[in-house]
Amino acid sequence: MVFSNQRNDKAYLFAGNPPVALMKQVYVGMSGGVDSSVTAALLQQQGYQVTGVYMKNWTQDLPGMKCPWADDLADAKRVAVQLSIPFKVFDFEKEYKQLVVDYMIEQYQAGRTPNPDVMCNQEVKFGLFLRAALADGADLVATGHYARIEGRRLASTNEHFRNLEAASGTARGRPTLAHDFEAVRPKMKTSLLMGKDLNKDQSYFLYRVTEAALEKTLMPLGELTKMEVRQKAQELQLVTAKKKDSQGICFVGKVGIKEFLQQYVTAAPGDIVDKKTGRVVGRHDGAIFYTFGQRHGLNVGGGLPYYVVGKDMARNVVIVTTDLNDENLWLDTVVLNQLHWINEAPSEDRQYHVRLRYRAPLIICQLKFVEDKLRLKLEDPERAITPGQSAVLYDGERVMGGGIVI
Amino acid sequence: MMQKPIYLDYAAATPLDERVLAAMQPFWHEQFYNPSSSYLAARTVRVAIEDARSYVAHWLGARPSEVIFTAGATESITIAVQGVMRRFPGTTVLTASTEHDSVLASVMLYRHKVVTVLLNGTVNLEALKTLVDDQTTLISLAYANNEIGTIQPLRDVAKLVEAIKLERQQNGNTLPLYVHTDASQAAGYLDLHAARLGVDLLTLNGGKLYGPKQTGILYVKGGTQLESILQGGGQENNLRSGTENVPGIIGFATALDLAQSTRKESVAKVAVLRDELQRRLLQAFPQASLNGNLKKRLPNNLHISWPGLDGERLVMLLDERGVQAATGSACAANKQTASHVLQAIGLKPELLHGSLRLSLGAFTTSEDVQRAAKIIIKSVQDCQKAA
Repeated sequence: MVFSNQRNDKAYLFAGNPPVALMKQVYVGMSGGVDSSVTAALLQQQGYQVTGVYMKNWTQDLPGMKCPWADDLADAKRVAVQLSIPFKVFDFEKEYKQLVVDYMIEQYQAGRTPNPDVMCNQEVKFGLFLRAALADGADLVATGHYARIEGRRLASTNEHFRNLEAASGTARGRPTLAHDFEAVRPKMKTSLLMGKDLNKDQSYFLYRVTEAALEKTLMPLGELTKMEVRQKAQELQLVTAKKKDSQGICFVGKVGIKEFLQQYVTAAPGDIVDKKTGRVVGRHDGAIFYTFGQRHGLNVGGGLPYYVVGKDMARNVVIVTTDLNDENLWLDTVVLNQLHWINEAPSEDRQYHVRLRYRAPLIICQLKFVEDKLRLKLEDPERAITPGQSAVLYDGERVMGGGIVI
Repeated sequence: MMQKPIYLDYAAATPLDERVLAAMQPFWHEQFYNPSSSYLAARTVRVAIEDARSYVAHWLGARPSEVIFTAGATESITIAVQGVMRRFPGTTVLTASTEHDSVLASVMLYRHKVVTVLLNGTVNLEALKTLVDDQTTLISLAYANNEIGTIQPLRDVAKLVEAIKLERQQNGNTLPLYVHTDASQAAGYLDLHAARLGVDLLTLNGGKLYGPKQTGILYVKGGTQLESILQGGGQENNLRSGTENVPGIIGFATALDLAQSTRKESVAKVAVLRDELQRRLLQAFPQASLNGNLKKRLPNNLHISWPGLDGERLVMLLDERGVQAATGSACAANKQTASHVLQAIGLKPELLHGSLRLSLGAFTTSEDVQRAAKIIIKSVQDCQKAA
């Protein structure tokens, strides 16, 4: 009965076992979408003391849609009100601009195709947000990612253990959080696994997160499919239940990457050159807007379709070919730098799977470390491996980490 | 089965009156003609518009030619403020710190001065007197404030303006000094007679009057000099070019006619309900702060603040429990900044974000008030606990 006062007036919504109040403060990053809404609801149901946090990241006012984030913030808050949980706004606007937006623009300027979502997770969600939440009194943070965290060693105290004992006394025979019993075991590694919904799995975006951050993080949606999440949202009548999934890079929003970049970089028109003949076959409006393997928008008329197989940023030239089997278009070797491993580094003595872009199929590969770089030998050549993208290594369903394609 | 939500946000939007809808009905299909066309059928549409104009003029004590139909209040205000300021370039416009954004945004484009208000939201007449100089050509003041409902002493302003104009005459200053008022919130409850109010320009909005949205008027007193800011076919005395929104015009005039002809009954009815709601809330929260001028306040407005409360959270909770209300003005709420009106009346910081604007209307019942009071009291308590 000690914990009965921890149940809120929405407890009736959660059929089945009453929550076991663990007195753990979890700050859930709530974006105003259905995933993070359900994350908050699930954790509340599991007995956590949940606080919703909206991270105010950098956005620009677009013509015709002033502060597009205001609706998302309002939705996040509405869900917090529905769940009767506290709600806060963390303002990371300045930091986000520097760490994510400027990084992305820089990378494009250098001719690469970066992944800002990876950067956002590494620097903002599992950097700034985690630190700010812990400083504000959180024990853990949570996000609505479709990925799993395994083998958590909770930063546990004796007090927490006593809570567990007390809780199991009142909730005998009822399921409780398995990982909380990890608290009494010796330390084990905390790993990142693919989400159960392989179609939705977001572990690719999370490979640069540190083990220390994962130890402090919950991702309850990793156990669910998107359909189950939507169902849960509807059961709980969350206002975000029917909200569309967000698409693309959030701060680029509705304008598209090209129009976005045009505001920040001066792109000069240049030549499009056929790789085989060396002849100029057309003009482009800025090499940075073109990406490997791209077919569309080359302004090259007639004949066979052209594909981008190279860029010479110094000369502002885009190199194309009509040869679908071009050696640059299909590579079986990839070199990565900026390596990051969540637990131990992978071994050269065995095979792993690599994913070269979000939702791309897993490819078997062999590793070779060369100084601070990693060379991957792919079992099958892969089309349009793009400099700047992330390559993520998997051992079964466990994310080892990865690096950036050179 | 969920009960129908109680709507207490009439200051934001009003439902269309059935009679207004009926009056508009013929003008979508049968009488769709362009009122400027010359065949007989189109002439009847022209006649309908001019009839509507006469109805509107009647309630303003104006001549029909002084009524310009517009697409809503923002357009009407823009035509008035920008029209005067373009006609007299380099002169100064004066407005109050509690004005709606639709006024402030236009005023900011020109040389302007902003007059402060007293703690109850009433314009500071002493300050106004000192701010008017030889270069001032326009004073724009809302008849009643959209957030806190404070009614401005327009007649006192008019008296002041008369004295200044007399002085200017003696000094040989030929610049005019016009008074514009946005009467959008007042139109359902207060006298709109322009001469009695002493205004030269007056804005009304159908969307707050049980009429259609994007309809309204600008009253332009004969002789008032405005430059047209919208060029085209020269409709509406050349001040609002564009083919007339016939159903909208008919709807607006019908709505205004209904509202003004039953104005005194509406005031009596809604004030009783508002006072009852106020009584219940103050009884539960004696420490809550009532905002606005309690003696000169719109009869349907109740604006109340609780220290340290998250007003936005309260509004969301109320929404979930079946009461639709506002934290201030809808626009300010979306921008995540404290309302400039509440800042202007010097509301203490701990009260700034903890406000609730309840605005009652024609369909509010005594049962609504009783039920809403209970829900609001419980919700404020819950929000206070959450904080």
